[in-house]
Amino acid sequence: MSAQPRVPKPTSSWSLLRRFWGFAHPHRRWIWFGLTMIPLVAGLSTLRPLLLKEAIDTAIPQSDPLGLRVLGLIFMVAVVAEFLCSAVQVYALQRGGSSTISDVRRTVFSHVLRLPARFYDNNAIGGLLSRTTSDVEALSETLAFGVFTILTDVVMIVSIVVAMFVLDAKLTLVTLTVTPVLYVLVRYFGAALRRLQLEMRKAQAAQTGFLAEQLSGVTVVQLFGREPAALREYERLGQRNLDATKHANILDALLFAVMDGISAFTIALMIYFAAPSVTSGGAITLGLLFAFVDYLQRVFGPIKEFSGKLATIQRASASLERIYGLLDEPGEPAGTKAAGEAVIDPLHGWRGGIRIRDLKFRYKDDGPEVLRGISFDVAPGEVIAVVGRTGSGKSSLGRVLTSFYDGYRGSIALATPTGEVELSSVVPEQLRRHVLMVQQDVFLFDENVAFNVSLGDPAIAGDRSRIERALAVVQADQVIAERGGLEFMVGERGANLSSGEAQLLAFARVAAREPTLLILDEATASVDSLTEQKVQRAIETLLHGRSVIVIAHRLSTIRRADRIVVLRQGEIAEIGPHDELMAKGGVYAEMVAMGLEEDGAGVNAGATSVEAAGP
Amino acid sequence: MNATLRFLAGYARRNLGQYMLGLAALLATNYAVVRIPALLGEALNILEGSGAAVLAESRGIAIELMVLAVVVIAVRTLSRVFFFNPGREIEYRLGVDLFERLLGLQRPYFNRHKVGELISIASNDTTSVRLLVGFAGLQVINVAVAIPMHLWQMASTDLALTAWCLGPVVIGAAYMRWTVKRFFAMIRDGMQQLARLSDRVLESYAGVGTIRSHAAEVATIRRFDERNESYLALQLRVSAIRAFGMPVLAFSGLIGAGVVLWAGGNRVIAKELGIGDLAAFTALLVSLVGILTSLAWVLAAVGRGMIATDRVAELMHTPDDLPPVKSALAVVQAPRIEIRGLSFTYEGTDTPAIEGIHAEIAPGKTLGIFGKTGSGKTTLVNLLTRVYTPPVGTVFIDGVDIVEAGLAEVREAMAVVPQAPFLFSSRLRDNITLQEANPRARSKVAATAGVEPVRDEPDPRLDAVLASACLNDDIAQLAQGLDTIVGERGVMLSGGQRQRAALARAIYRNRPILVLDDVLAAVDQGTEARLVEAIRGLRSDGAATSAPTTIIVSHRTSVLEHVDEIIVLDHGKMVERGTHAQLLRAGGVYAETHRHQEGAT
Repeated sequence: MSAQPRVPKPTSSWSLLRRFWGFAHPHRRWIWFGLTMIPLVAGLSTLRPLLLKEAIDTAIPQSDPLGLRVLGLIFMVAVVAEFLCSAVQVYALQRGGSSTISDVRRTVFSHVLRLPARFYDNNAIGGLLSRTTSDVEALSETLAFGVFTILTDVVMIVSIVVAMFVLDAKLTLVTLTVTPVLYVLVRYFGAALRRLQLEMRKAQAAQTGFLAEQLSGVTVVQLFGREPAALREYERLGQRNLDATKHANILDALLFAVMDGISAFTIALMIYFAAPSVTSGGAITLGLLFAFVDYLQRVFGPIKEFSGKLATIQRASASLERIYGLLDEPGEPAGTKAAGEAVIDPLHGWRGGIRIRDLKFRYKDDGPEVLRGISFDVAPGEVIAVVGRTGSGKSSLGRVLTSFYDGYRGSIALATPTGEVELSSVVPEQLRRHVLMVQQDVFLFDENVAFNVSLGDPAIAGDRSRIERALAVVQADQVIAERGGLEFMVGERGANLSSGEAQLLAFARVAAREPTLLILDEATASVDSLTEQKVQRAIETLLHGRSVIVIAHRLSTIRRADRIVVLRQGEIAEIGPHDELMAKGGVYAEMVAMGLEEDGAGVNAGATSVEAAGP
Repeated sequence: MNATLRFLAGYARRNLGQYMLGLAALLATNYAVVRIPALLGEALNILEGSGAAVLAESRGIAIELMVLAVVVIAVRTLSRVFFFNPGREIEYRLGVDLFERLLGLQRPYFNRHKVGELISIASNDTTSVRLLVGFAGLQVINVAVAIPMHLWQMASTDLALTAWCLGPVVIGAAYMRWTVKRFFAMIRDGMQQLARLSDRVLESYAGVGTIRSHAAEVATIRRFDERNESYLALQLRVSAIRAFGMPVLAFSGLIGAGVVLWAGGNRVIAKELGIGDLAAFTALLVSLVGILTSLAWVLAAVGRGMIATDRVAELMHTPDDLPPVKSALAVVQAPRIEIRGLSFTYEGTDTPAIEGIHAEIAPGKTLGIFGKTGSGKTTLVNLLTRVYTPPVGTVFIDGVDIVEAGLAEVREAMAVVPQAPFLFSSRLRDNITLQEANPRARSKVAATAGVEPVRDEPDPRLDAVLASACLNDDIAQLAQGLDTIVGERGVMLSGGQRQRAALARAIYRNRPILVLDDVLAAVDQGTEARLVEAIRGLRSDGAATSAPTTIIVSHRTSVLEHVDEIIVLDHGKMVERGTHAQLLRAGGVYAETHRHQEGAT
């Protein structure tokens, strides 16, 4: 599916792990420290039953209270030591693990920020979010409860079995006769459970997907009286999930109970076979039986969880593959930042002159051309208004000029003092230091006004007067002062500001940066009439002193432009100053007469009819 | 609390039989569980002696143990199945009931609640409820049964020793209770912090365009780091408590075992206790500690389950805010529709979206609604179709106030194409006929398993509709034709294709009222002409049924040219009214727009 990031071919767990180790490397001390504790814990816990045996076989029969007290004390010391070692082990491993995971999350996040716009077109943000959070979180769970505990369990079981063999090989073999049964059970049940769990997850995903879709289109469902049918389908999907879970429950309960029963069964088996030797004073002593009972009780617990833990690990490797898939997506080309070396600015001294020749562009290789051979010049300081209906290519033009999308054909030459520079040869990051695009919908961060103007640029953030000046230039200073000044929190997506105020902030960003070329995608939505005038005046201010390409919707803005480019279906229909085009009485004149409010709701209607007709 | 339990009891009642069986199995399990260490103790006590009688007796006990082991397997399995499966069934029924409730709620509710939030209640919260009525229910009862049984078995072996070894365990349990509380407070914090981290990630991804055009990557990563690091710090605190706090109870049990060894050993030396009783004691102690540990977790699951239950119950009890039904409405023939002084203001706004609209449409006639974006066209349509409830006494179908009629009857009377076409992720065919999706035709499993997909019956009416909606060329281009899965998880259709599919859906529905909300906006002019012709054709061919009473919304005059009457909206008010010809003559907004639109072609 195109909505998923590229998933690489299934790679071996080993190579997955090797790559993961790259992230874990800085935290290896904690991990190694934790790992070295594991044999200590296993050793101490194996020691306990031996002390028990010693007491029962020696101290008690010899009626030696002193020896018994010493053994009791050693026992408790061993318990405390084991507690400390295992606590340190768990903490160290989790610390190493969590720190690693935190680094993974950071790496994923910074990588996604660098991915090109095309990637965002093909991938829902929700999916990217779950890559960054859920998938990484799944990894963390697995590290904590899967990998490390399974390691501890294995070492523990091995050391117990070794201890049992050393104590009495024959009796050990007798108790181990259940092992094949156990093996078959765990394998069979484990495999069956995993299959069912897969089915459950699929069924759940189908049910949730259906729910989401029906709720998104709930108006259609209701208008067409489809409620009963939708409910029946939901029931069917739920039933599928229910059948699988009930089946899984039975297997799960059996597995749990069998493990419980088998440990009792082996104890019985052991007593049965050991009885002759114990009663006849043979090699098997009562103390030995004590020790074995203790050991056996501890061997089976972890085994019943093996299957579940293995499943977690499998899930985690799927998450890991998805994360790697995302990390392997090529990012936008970045400037080479050799330490200490001054980066040469290819656009140094550029005054905003552009020569566009036969510009063609399509979003996808197999998609339609949205720009079909556009040619025009922008002189330094010239203001060009681009108008056209939805789909005429005006927004695409802005996206190409800011290098958000690469792969244009034709030429976009930037006239610098040292000669013409082709736009595609400039690293996007460097280009955007000179070319700034202000989008229609202003994006505000849930921070204060100062941050939203500076956007963390140290040169601006460190200089409050610069922020204040920028606000003053766009006449937002008064509004912001009324709101509570630079520290005023704008709220999530600027919820505490009106749309007009939000636009003023976006303009202040421009004023603070003073780009050589400004690409302004004017908002279509009408703002409240109070700020409307301010927005108008701010736009007029920004049009001065730089080259501007304004994707315009308001006549007042268009009138300020030196020339107007009228786009129709990716081509230039008309070009020239306002008066000239009006006199011509062509497409432009007609658009002006219609009020230029062509971008309406519903045209880009996608999936959400819920929002389409709200207030 | 009581209301919560009553709500749950209402759901659990149906599974009472299973729960009773589960309870019986649970009692049997616990009996066997305490009996096993006791038998073990007996066996070891006997083995201390010697001789053939001892051997036979001990073997007898061993066999008894084996039988008991098998019994444990059976009854424990049953107890879990009988408790867990009802939990699943209750989760399922809750989910279905929730969905039913959601389907009954109207647009204003969905404006207030995000889909994601509702899905979270329907999936996550019902899961918490399931854990409450399944896992937690089992454990609570298990603990209530098991602890007295263990204590009784221990005390009947040796009262003094019981007192001795319980000391550390009681301290451990108290500590555990405190720790688990703290632990869950941290886990809750952790979830909140993760949510905050997710918010920040989402915010950054959504604003990536702004971030990049202003070269704000470094600052954005710094903002992410703040949250990421505080989340890590919390996780480390959780790790510390998990490592040092959580195992305390288990280890206090081991300390208790040390006490048993020491104090119990002394009593064995003093011949006050059998040697096997030591083993029995230790085993019981370990088992008891296990149960106490699970108790701490269970209490937490109960707390979460209760909160989730309240959320589910709240949604389930949300009123649909529909006015009471006072009149019957059964529309068979195309009805007369009247709009009398209709004004409407959206919740949370001050200015009316539409004001004082009057119109009347005779049976089988067509009303055109014309206006620019934001003029109130869609609001008017949403009121006529009762997506929003209009004020009483403003909209009438055949003289019946639609507010007083049943919602289902009102909608039964009409076929509506909303402005934003919505296609479900199913076959194009199902999207138009709105037949229930054929599960076999849809399932990929069936396809790969070689099962022949069910053939659809030929549908001449569908063919006619496809032709009217000018969809045949588009269908020919699709790989699987009408059986192509469209919608979000299928083939993406173009805006115009989606609009025409939605139009086809409405025509296929064939109702006495037809409402088209600007459905030709993304359609090119040539197709538009053919579609307008097709819609007009619905009335002229008049085959079986009479022509529907039709409402067409558009911002293009070419669409409205042939309608019987047009009302022109501007800023929510009706500014002009008349036929196409009348309006052209009047020389107002409509005439002016018409001139430009005609000029453009």
